[in-house]
Amino acid sequence: MKTIVCMKQVPSSNEVRLHPVTKTIIRDGKASVINPFDASALEQAVQIREKLGGSITALSMGILETAELLRDGISRGCDEAVLLSDCAFAGADTLATSYTLSLGVDKIGDFDLILCGKMAVDGDTAQIGPELAQTLGIPYATDVIEILEVDETKITVKRGIDGGTQVITLPYPALITVVKEIQKPRLPSIQSIGDSLQKEITIYTAPELGADETRTGLNGSPTEVVQTFIPENKVDCVELTGSIAEICKSIATIRQEVK
Amino acid sequence: MKYIHPISEEYQEYLKDESRTTGNANTISFPTSEKEVVEIVKHLYQNQETITIQGARTGVAAGAVPKTGHAMNFSKMNGITGCTVENGRFLFGVEAGHSLIALNQKIGTKKMDTTGWSQESIAAFHEFLDAPMQFYPPDPTETTCSIGGMVSCNASGARSFSYGSVRNHIDGLRVVLADGELLHLKRGQNFAKDRVLELVTESGKQIKLDLPKYKMPTTKNASGYFVEDNMDAVDLFIGADGTLGIVTHITIVTSPLPQEIWGVSCFFASEKLALDFVIAVRKEKENIAALEYFDPNALEILRIQKKSGTAFKQLPEIPEAYVACVYCEIHTDTKELAQETMFRIGAKMKATGNNPEHTWVARNDGDLKTLQFFRHAVPECSNMIIDARKKVEPIITKLGSDMSVPNDSLQAVVDLYQTTLEAENLEYAIWGHIGDNHLHVNVLPKNAEDFYKGKELFKHWAKETSAMGGAVSAEHGVGKIKANFLEIMYGKEGIEEMRALKQSLDPSGLLNIGNLFDVEEVAK
Repeated sequence: MKTIVCMKQVPSSNEVRLHPVTKTIIRDGKASVINPFDASALEQAVQIREKLGGSITALSMGILETAELLRDGISRGCDEAVLLSDCAFAGADTLATSYTLSLGVDKIGDFDLILCGKMAVDGDTAQIGPELAQTLGIPYATDVIEILEVDETKITVKRGIDGGTQVITLPYPALITVVKEIQKPRLPSIQSIGDSLQKEITIYTAPELGADETRTGLNGSPTEVVQTFIPENKVDCVELTGSIAEICKSIATIRQEVK
Repeated sequence: MKYIHPISEEYQEYLKDESRTTGNANTISFPTSEKEVVEIVKHLYQNQETITIQGARTGVAAGAVPKTGHAMNFSKMNGITGCTVENGRFLFGVEAGHSLIALNQKIGTKKMDTTGWSQESIAAFHEFLDAPMQFYPPDPTETTCSIGGMVSCNASGARSFSYGSVRNHIDGLRVVLADGELLHLKRGQNFAKDRVLELVTESGKQIKLDLPKYKMPTTKNASGYFVEDNMDAVDLFIGADGTLGIVTHITIVTSPLPQEIWGVSCFFASEKLALDFVIAVRKEKENIAALEYFDPNALEILRIQKKSGTAFKQLPEIPEAYVACVYCEIHTDTKELAQETMFRIGAKMKATGNNPEHTWVARNDGDLKTLQFFRHAVPECSNMIIDARKKVEPIITKLGSDMSVPNDSLQAVVDLYQTTLEAENLEYAIWGHIGDNHLHVNVLPKNAEDFYKGKELFKHWAKETSAMGGAVSAEHGVGKIKANFLEIMYGKEGIEEMRALKQSLDPSGLLNIGNLFDVEEVAK
């Protein structure tokens, strides 16, 4: 079982403090950490490996310092780590990032399952997982809250949806994005941290990945951030049960009511 | 008087504290300023009414539980009154009722209400904003405690292993005496000559104090009055259990926040191996801020609570092979130094026959919270057990020891606790500040008989730990619950000297009666 876990480096604190006079940000000097959702994804991958064997490769795109974060991932259970780092990747939105990550996945080669955190705590977009799966052309499930069954050929997951849950089975290769609560990340030991320092992190640049530089970094990022806000959920969800005929009838009724 | 209210139904909760002891009072007040405190005290002094001072009532020695008379509650004096910078250190004036948790938050977020501050204070506060992050090192487990309460019992916490108790982090006090006279004490300005201390109140009244002659233990200590030759006047009122004066205002000193705070929970196959490790690691204690212990019973309590599906299910899984645990907290300014210290801990584990793989390391805030949750879960779980048993047997209360001994008595004191507890067939769990040989032994009585057996054991331990050169209270204060232990520790003569000191400042014995001494004895 070959698993890839995508990891992002995020600030350790979301709280921004402003100097009352200069209005500049007061830095707390705290280091960056693994995005908590990705840390849960890693723990889930480790538990799958404990059951089925195999290997886990951590994958990240970022500056060279991100290697430290990947080393942290190794101390928590990853076998290998790959960092995609190049000036050409700077300023990437989710589309450019997922393209670049897809090249990293291609470089890693054979894999069965990719695990991503549902979202990153700094951006909150929840787009990387689905976009990466689309780019790779593999099936995916988002918002996974529980792994129900996993074997060498497929994985059955329970995912959260508006108003309920949904159970999906995905054949490999596949990608899932997981919620933070799916697993509590384990803590590394002194021994595993020591071992992680001996591990080499593989670093690939844009040319080494054969990247199309019109699709990476700022060049490949059509997104323009105009405003950030928390969207209001205006959608009501109703769970429909019964036979297919009954469900169809219910849908027809709802459509009638909406009109 | 407008500030004084009769004790009615709505004030019943102010007759007890976290020790689960209930007392009595006729009246209560909630002063909002030092001026009001003085007015109330003068009024009560005229009527010779006793006063019991209350902070957040989180103490476990019943220090804030009134026996009779008046209860003065400081919950409405909870502001920060100013900031100064002295020799690169930041000093904040804090009212006695201010909670520790709110203070930590204000320092950590650098957000403070500066309304009413002087121009100098505001200028100093701007320096604070520009300075590297600061923190207030004393860290008692109960963070909702008040700063005044911490001063009265010389509180500490896990990090006192490196930073010392609250005494080390106080630069000044404002104190209202029993007759309403006001003392303003600043560290470094008024020292005793040998054991004679002279104080001058703000109105110019001179008070000469003959300090007790006893020698304090060299261990962590919060038992009775702090006295030593040529001592600073500030220190006399810290840890005095509110018996010498009413502390209204404290000048605290912050310290630079270490850039790296790491936690390492080390697990051991036996208690003996854990103790061997502690003895080895504290020989090179550099950068280690805390050494905390969890005995096998404490770990078992956590395993059971985790399975019970309560909020504690978030606790990490503790393998059965992990029998005892020592939590080490590393404070440094560089990652390299933190890593070096962590590996030194690993090497000490190996050298004492342990496995560095059996560790949990926290190198960021999130992981550190996990380890701190683990550490705080033990007392919380044991409180839950006691509360459940109390419903069946109301006489049962928490029985937690607070004694410390010198370094060379660590193994002996652990043996003492275990052999006596096993002989009495009592359920118990031991945890706490093993770096300072200051373990909290918690007896978990199943019935009234267990409860009384436990109380007797505590008296026995008070004798034994005092004989080892230790203290009967290392951080909770003596209050009312441990008043009988104080005499075991200092002898009758020591108590008489303390009593004479109190009478010099509070001749009628009005303040916090029952704390440290028995009430009738004070009146005599």
